[in-house]
Amino acid sequence: MLGKLLKYEIPELGRKLAPLYIGWAATAVLLGLAVGPAASKSDFMVVLSGMLYSAAATAVVVMTVITIIQRYSNSLLGDDAYFNQVLPVTASEHIASKGLSAMIWVIVSGAVMCLTGLLIAIFSGSMAEFLRVMPDIWRDIIMKIKGEEWLILLEILIMMVFSLTKSVLAIYAAITIGHQAQKRTTLASIGAYIGVLFFETFVGRTGMSIFPNFFRNFDIYDMHKFFGGGMLITAALCAIYFLICKYLMEKRLNLA
Amino acid sequence: MARIEINHLTKNFGGLTALDEVDLSLEKGQIVGLLGPNGSGKTTLIKILNGLLTPTSGSAEINGMKPGVGTKKIVAYLPDRNALPDYMTSDQLIGLYKDFFEDFDSDKAGAMIDDLGIDRKQTLKKMSKGTKEKLQLCLVMARTAEVYLLDEPIGGVDPATRDYILRTIISNYNEDAVVVISTHLISDIESVLDDVVFIKNGRVVLHDKADHIREEKGESVDQLFREVFKC
Repeated sequence: MLGKLLKYEIPELGRKLAPLYIGWAATAVLLGLAVGPAASKSDFMVVLSGMLYSAAATAVVVMTVITIIQRYSNSLLGDDAYFNQVLPVTASEHIASKGLSAMIWVIVSGAVMCLTGLLIAIFSGSMAEFLRVMPDIWRDIIMKIKGEEWLILLEILIMMVFSLTKSVLAIYAAITIGHQAQKRTTLASIGAYIGVLFFETFVGRTGMSIFPNFFRNFDIYDMHKFFGGGMLITAALCAIYFLICKYLMEKRLNLA
Repeated sequence: MARIEINHLTKNFGGLTALDEVDLSLEKGQIVGLLGPNGSGKTTLIKILNGLLTPTSGSAEINGMKPGVGTKKIVAYLPDRNALPDYMTSDQLIGLYKDFFEDFDSDKAGAMIDDLGIDRKQTLKKMSKGTKEKLQLCLVMARTAEVYLLDEPIGGVDPATRDYILRTIISNYNEDAVVVISTHLISDIESVLDDVVFIKNGRVVLHDKADHIREEKGESVDQLFREVFKC
């Protein structure tokens, strides 16, 4: 059933975010044209298009977060839940489908950011220069990173995915806890999220106090320890937040 | 085994008791009217059977199962509000139901939708309130479910549509199923009811056969309702 949920969930988030991506790409084109060689080099146009681009970028970031929150809240705990919560689907599948689609769209937002950078390069006429220097930069990176440093890069990448998952699930847990209050659920969810942040700080400090000599030389070995420990703690937090959502949805669901 | 078995079911919302020690047993092969004024606990009872509310105490079971994935496979629920994705067309909603409910009959749903003259390419967002309600009912009744829980199915529609909805319910439910219709519009549905449950202030005050009420008391269910719930 998870696949079927994702079949509807992924396009639903995309339907809301796609217009913002198009708007963002358009401001990138505008900025590229404003700073390109063919432009009149009017400071006003450069500043204006730069501001538009920044505003669009901010809008995408803010709207991605808001859409992820709204989608979870409305579809599993709001009016839409009167359909979604009577589907023959487990709470785990519901939470997983929301989490996976949210992560996919966060990653897509990141990819669109790279695309807007590329659009600025193309329309400002610096694409040729970009293509000329890129192979050199890439070659330098390949040469400088050796052996185990690739493993560190991989660990950083995994850590980023874990952290993203943890952040999404922390928001979901806060919303689900907040909905236990039958009134002022938004306020209660914000309160719950502050509680979640305190909890994470507590876990981090406890971890550091248990291992006071975690970093001795800050060498490759310490880095492995840091990312390995970080991954374990983040995975544990993911499991805790997931189980909170699952428990409350299965045992304490009370739709208004 | 009864299709629906409810024992000592209580639901409190803070200091308010919505259901108070409700006991009820409903067998298959009947259309049951869950009747009571606004705020009597009808919707709360139906929401608990669908797993949308957690009981404070007591139990509610369908085919011996507590509300969960198992019961959701066999229960067709019509909520008292539109809960379907409003950006979807009728055709897309048929696809959605087909994906999730094994007992859903796409052809039957399509035929009912065409019968009502609903444009299959129109999104739900652009439909009138009445059309949305009719469409939701078509989708629900196109399932071959064992339990139908219909919360105020005739609440906000015109008399002609009410007739269509009632005809749809009678002609589409099967003998192995139980249909529970929650409403306070008794006179409109009285003719289709086999069983009657009166619910008042969260308590079941009467559970009897509709025919028995008419024979024994010499009055219609609607008349009895007006007596029981007299203000």
